[in-house]
Amino acid sequence: MATTATISISSDIAPGFGGINASMTLAQGGTEIDIDNTTGFQRRKLSAASVVDLVTMANELVEPKDSVAAKIYIRNIGYKGNIDKSVGVTIGIQSEPIGKLYGGDWMMMPLTCIDADDVTATPETADTVVLEYVLFYEEN
Amino acid sequence: MATTTAAVTLTSDLLSDNMSVSATTTCMKAGTTADGLDQMEYGYVEIASGTAYDIIGNTPTASKASKLYVKNHSEDETYYISVVLDAQAVGRLYGGPNDTGDWMFIPADFHDANADVEITATGGTNKICYALFHEGTVLVAS
Repeated sequence: MATTATISISSDIAPGFGGINASMTLAQGGTEIDIDNTTGFQRRKLSAASVVDLVTMANELVEPKDSVAAKIYIRNIGYKGNIDKSVGVTIGIQSEPIGKLYGGDWMMMPLTCIDADDVTATPETADTVVLEYVLFYEEN
Repeated sequence: MATTTAAVTLTSDLLSDNMSVSATTTCMKAGTTADGLDQMEYGYVEIASGTAYDIIGNTPTASKASKLYVKNHSEDETYYISVVLDAQAVGRLYGGPNDTGDWMFIPADFHDANADVEITATGGTNKICYALFHEGTVLVAS
């Protein structure tokens, strides 16, 4: 086994669109060697409409190698079973917004893991929301 | 209502016990609970090394709920594309044998004219599949 991620997208927007099914094996950059480190699965509860670091790269106990094959998975799981798809949390890198995860939405994104490239989260409202996330990376 | 769902299954043996995560989301328009994304763009391109390209030609309406999928179908694990958003490096998507290359699925904000998703290929000609699910683009008049 290794670390793998599969995605299945179905949609009836375009007639004839057959969907997307894809898999990836998370490997170290430029090799077929399995990626070797993870933060483990974590949760972060947010209760203010202000920006926070979800991952502060310089604070990782095992220093990630820069600019290779790191990936992060993040999901907005709402709070205590209340998943509100009408409000979301903007995920960013440094000050650059990537996009907003509405209730139930998830994302899988590559990362540079450069110390300055922290992963940020900014809730749209002060209503409590929980993010689940896990970072996979190479040890420096 | 158009319905688009995205499901992920993530498994890993990096921890002392196996980790398995599954999630499914229905992609809705921004700020709504009953109206799904209703437009899409789907493509497959081969990109030679060295030059940066915008992966999406028409800029979707800013700050909506667009979702972007990109996969590197290159079979060579040393090939990769660098993903950049508004001059901010995001990360790399490597190719892999037997179509195990990297993919990403992100909410794409497109918050201003500079926020196009830009990719640059390295190693050789990379084969890239992409799909954008959105709720409107700024079309270019002919």
